[in-house]
Amino acid sequence: MIACGHSNDQMSSCVLDEETFCRCCQLFLEHSHSLCDGWSWQLVKGSEEGYLRKVALGNVRIRTSSNPNQITDQYIQGASSDQRQGRTSPFTPHKENDDDHNDEQYYDDDDGAVCCMQDSRSSGVIQYEYHILYSYSYQTPVLYFRASTLEGRSLSLEEVWDGVHPNYRQRLQHGPWDTITQQEHPLLGQSFFVLHPCRTEEFMRPVLQAALEEHRQVNYVVTWLSVVGPVVGLDVPLSYCTKVPAPSHTSPSPLQPPALQTQPD
Amino acid sequence: MIADDKDVLRDVWFGRIPTCFTLYQDEVTEREAEPFYLLLPRVSYLTLVTDKVKKHFLKVMKAEDVEEIWFEYEGTPLKWHYPIGLLFDLHASNTSLPWSITVHFKNFPERDLLHCPCNSVIEAHFMSSIKEADALKHKSQVINDMQKKDHKQLWMGLQNDKFDQFWAINRKLMEYPTEEGGFRYIPFRIYLTMSDRPFIQKLFRPISPDGHTHTLGDLLKEVYPVAIANEAKRYQVVIHGIEPLLETPLQWLSEHLSHPDNFLHISVIPAPSD
Repeated sequence: MIACGHSNDQMSSCVLDEETFCRCCQLFLEHSHSLCDGWSWQLVKGSEEGYLRKVALGNVRIRTSSNPNQITDQYIQGASSDQRQGRTSPFTPHKENDDDHNDEQYYDDDDGAVCCMQDSRSSGVIQYEYHILYSYSYQTPVLYFRASTLEGRSLSLEEVWDGVHPNYRQRLQHGPWDTITQQEHPLLGQSFFVLHPCRTEEFMRPVLQAALEEHRQVNYVVTWLSVVGPVVGLDVPLSYCTKVPAPSHTSPSPLQPPALQTQPD
Repeated sequence: MIADDKDVLRDVWFGRIPTCFTLYQDEVTEREAEPFYLLLPRVSYLTLVTDKVKKHFLKVMKAEDVEEIWFEYEGTPLKWHYPIGLLFDLHASNTSLPWSITVHFKNFPERDLLHCPCNSVIEAHFMSSIKEADALKHKSQVINDMQKKDHKQLWMGLQNDKFDQFWAINRKLMEYPTEEGGFRYIPFRIYLTMSDRPFIQKLFRPISPDGHTHTLGDLLKEVYPVAIANEAKRYQVVIHGIEPLLETPLQWLSEHLSHPDNFLHISVIPAPSD
């Protein structure tokens, strides 16, 4: 169940249990299939655990270089925050004016920020892979993602940060835990980028409380993804928010008025 | 905590593994690279304690032949973000010492290893684990009530191998309301060698609803029964290089045998056949 409770000291918390997570994902998937937008449920070998997965292709401008250190230097040189304002996010589909930028530096039209392209072998197409897992520790969903060129080169953290919309970048850089970091995927053991889940409860709580007060049910996964997805270039069409129901419960609704609610434990 | 228990904390902190670092044979060198010997702290991280190793091999290499350092044991890339003692128990515990690690400066295995460009990445990872452990133990209340300088002290204690400095703060993370009898949930990970899946992590309470104390055996039975199946000792359950009795209370293990990141890292490995 999704539980929202008030304890004596006015602290409330909204947690998502694993079963409800799975049910939310199931409903999410039903809508996804009707849109054919590429989500699927992956099972972990030898267990009942699973996660949502989506692979997407994007045609973007990315900084490519044969020397990984060069990327960092260019990033630092090229990127002061006012220069980068108005710069197109690499995550949005971009139509190239001409296809060949061999070893050429050029300036962004709008703001004069330097954006360098080398390595003409790079097609500029990036494959993104998104996974939605359940975190036991934080009792929330967590978004894992990775990106690579079609040639198989994994994108670096700098390149991933490039893809975060400037509006989100400052907020994400707030604290060491409020951010995108590279982590080990807990089910696959491979390197992924993760949007840290420790603040999820903070932004979900007002939404869940409001729903509680209005006697509305909420699909936790849909609501959560509509907040975190855009930060990393993952589009969540509006129909998810209008068409995907919350999981129903056979037991009495856990969304009760605060006065009657006890913290399940 | 009684005097004997404090000794356990020290023994865990000061555990060392004698290691021999050898440069990968295909690395390009200007002259022959000698192996480098080092005692590694079980509770630390490879990239935090191998500056000397790196310096040693860089002496015989040209700058253009050097990219990010990474370590490998018998073909398996070693995950720097796992504590050193865990890596040893998982991969090499029933082999002879010193532990032989191969050093690489090229062909970083992007899919398998996390990048570690500087110490602040290690610090971020370490603090993230501590925070996650406290989310499980105390709903993050203790860690969130601490000041930034306390967080820093935990990291500095680990980085500089200062037991007292570390435990001055960490002891707060090991407290719990007396009426509760223990933490809310135990932070643990069970690492498996014979699986694609790197580890198992679930919610597990130290005390059952009817007040009975859960043991290590209870945990395994619930979360990974294969480890203690009736077939005669096919697996060893190892923490910090030892096999604790399955009757050991889980709460005690969490307070005394956790790593500095506040997690119990448990290896389940095939028992040696002899």
